[in-house]
Amino acid sequence: MVDPKPAAVSRRRLLTGTLAGGAALAGGGVLSGCSTRQDVRRHDTADPWRQFAGCTLNFVSENTAPTSAIAAEAQRFTELTGIHINIVTLELSALVQKVALDLASGQSQYQVLYADSYQVLAPYAEGLVDLREPAGDPSLPGETSRFDEFVPLQMDVSGRFGDGERVLALPYDCATMIWQYRKDLFETYHERMAADLGFDPTPGPQRTWEEYFRIAKWFNDNVDEVAYGTGHQAKQHDSLMCDFSNVLFAHGGQYFPDGERVGRYGAVDPGACQLDSDAALEAAEFYRRLLSVADPASRTWDWTGVGAAFAAGRVAMCPNWHEFAADNERALPGKVGYAALPSGPVKSANMYGGAGIAINGNTAPNERKAAWLFLNWATSRRTQLRNLTGEVGGATPTLSSIYQLPEVRSAQQRPTDMPTMLTAPAVQRAWQPEYSGMRPKIPMWSECDTAIYTELSRMLAGDATSAQAMRDTTKQVDRIVSRGWVAAR
Amino acid sequence: MTTDTESPTTAARSADPAPPRRRIGFTGRMMAPGIALLAALTVLPFVTIVVMSFSEVHLLGGLSLDFAGLSNWARFFTDPEMGWFWLRTALYFVLTLGLEMVLGVLLALCVWRLIRGRNLVLSMLLLPMFVAPVLVGLLGRFLVDPTIGLYSWLLEQLGYGGDVLGGTFSAFAAVVAMDVWEWTPLIALITLAGLTSVPLPLREAAALDGAGRWQTLRHIVLPSISNVLLVALLIRAMDAIRYFDIIWVTTNGGPANATKIVPVRLYETAFRFFDFGYAAVIGLAMLLASIVIARTFVRMLDRKGLAR
Repeated sequence: MVDPKPAAVSRRRLLTGTLAGGAALAGGGVLSGCSTRQDVRRHDTADPWRQFAGCTLNFVSENTAPTSAIAAEAQRFTELTGIHINIVTLELSALVQKVALDLASGQSQYQVLYADSYQVLAPYAEGLVDLREPAGDPSLPGETSRFDEFVPLQMDVSGRFGDGERVLALPYDCATMIWQYRKDLFETYHERMAADLGFDPTPGPQRTWEEYFRIAKWFNDNVDEVAYGTGHQAKQHDSLMCDFSNVLFAHGGQYFPDGERVGRYGAVDPGACQLDSDAALEAAEFYRRLLSVADPASRTWDWTGVGAAFAAGRVAMCPNWHEFAADNERALPGKVGYAALPSGPVKSANMYGGAGIAINGNTAPNERKAAWLFLNWATSRRTQLRNLTGEVGGATPTLSSIYQLPEVRSAQQRPTDMPTMLTAPAVQRAWQPEYSGMRPKIPMWSECDTAIYTELSRMLAGDATSAQAMRDTTKQVDRIVSRGWVAAR
Repeated sequence: MTTDTESPTTAARSADPAPPRRRIGFTGRMMAPGIALLAALTVLPFVTIVVMSFSEVHLLGGLSLDFAGLSNWARFFTDPEMGWFWLRTALYFVLTLGLEMVLGVLLALCVWRLIRGRNLVLSMLLLPMFVAPVLVGLLGRFLVDPTIGLYSWLLEQLGYGGDVLGGTFSAFAAVVAMDVWEWTPLIALITLAGLTSVPLPLREAAALDGAGRWQTLRHIVLPSISNVLLVALLIRAMDAIRYFDIIWVTTNGGPANATKIVPVRLYETAFRFFDFGYAAVIGLAMLLASIVIARTFVRMLDRKGLAR
């Protein structure tokens, strides 16, 4: 006798099968390896730049000035190499997600990555190509000695991670926090201010943070042209940590023991958090006091917010990234001055926030070499100079030698068609080790950063005292660090 | 003395031959591709998240999971901040839903009373609903910006010198207001649909019996549209529990975590800290909360015989 419904499946079996299949897919990570990519073809040619002609590279970057400039020049790269380059620009957090998910896929949809030192380089160092390998390949243009041409601090912070000699990225973007002030107002009121305050108010690292506080207060009380003396990027955001860190380092505080090394080279296990030290408590208390005389809107501003307020003439001065110089010159032509930040009891610290350009470790061998050609071209002297002078402009060179060129040196004075270069004396000083400030380069920095700026925000909102905020931050950071970095373990 | 006796019903049942096992027949097989697709879209992610909640999720070199036992769940129940996030979420949920329901019904009643220009007023009223939440956040941020914001300027003229998004209370109130501004029109629209179905003879009878406006509203209109209001409440409740965009764009959860609710924490954990194991736990807890809320409303509808 024949079963009339031999192929029928019970409902329970169907459900069980679906669940089992789901579990298998979820547990086995089958999703990550569904397809394989082919490597690009290498051609036999006498021109080493054209050996990968015809291939396409994808570059994912934060929407920063250097990438806008590179995008405007991308056609030149294609003409030189025959390689097509697609550039995707995103806001930083979206970029970090793209990079993380691309690395998780085991593929390399994006062969060239914008490597933010703290959110890409440190957490995913193991997923990036050691650039000494393509730089040492005699079949490719470029050589390892080229690494020495970059500004040394930038090469270490943006290009290296840990104690090794590996070079994981080339310095590409070099945002640095400096003192931005209304030069016209400082000149107009110089004598009066000096007489009232009892010191020369000219901005620079010879000023102290305490003097900065008094200058800000003086502007609040005596000048009608601006609403407030100082503005800050004190929103509950990464910007708050950056703004506070300048004060912290100046007071001799640090996030972890051997903070200079952890900031410059990075570490996986940085040790116990030092934010409950006396220096850190003093810095936090000063920062709270400084914000009490700053524009109250500072608590809602990130770097863009304070930059817009400064350009709108609302505040007389602010610490901000040097890249805002172009906006300042557009809004207040000839009226803005730039200097290194004031000193604390220990030093003048200027937060460095640069990033590198790296190659995805999932790339196939030839694809990797093609990506190196792009890195090499994008950070070359000629391209950097063109990015500085081109129509899009706005980028700041990362090669030391460019700053010695006569046209670049003359652009540091007004009138100039390279407004970012007006900040060159200040930022070049800020890149010296004794003036630099570097946040910890650790894989779990994003979570530590969130804990730090949240507690600082509590302090500024009056929900916690400065000492309480620092002690709570210390406990949270220690907890986060002790959990370790899971995603790339 | 006790004796074991088998009830006649049970005995009769045991004597019957076993009922044929239900199998998926022709109809089921025809539906199988659709069901498989649905399963791929719902069951697979759900199972993945459950598995992830018991794992450490590694990203480098391809996604991989390491069994982590109950550590993510233990962390969820011992996280000192988590309770506050849930409390804030509950407060936010009650405030937005409450205000939207009250204002939505009031607006609908006003529009319902309009004889001329109803379509024009209704069209204008509905506009906020068509704006993407992220744009509502950006718009709100610009309007209360202390340098260029129109609302900031107006508030300053009225004597409020503070910064709206800078204070803990005012920032929370602002994000609630932005959500209320965007979604009250939806409640008004649904309510208006309900109001147009209130039988005219019933209202006329109430008027003849001498019922005033308030009495008519309370005893005739509101009971007639209660089912519609419940549906509106269910729709908004499901949306409100995963509120994210406006807060992320305006305050980033600050100041002092005053606007950080569970969905914001979930996003941070997953896509800023890349701690997918712990994020899966938070996600499952949110799912559970959504199910509880949805079941509550569905049961209320069921009691009124409207769920099926």
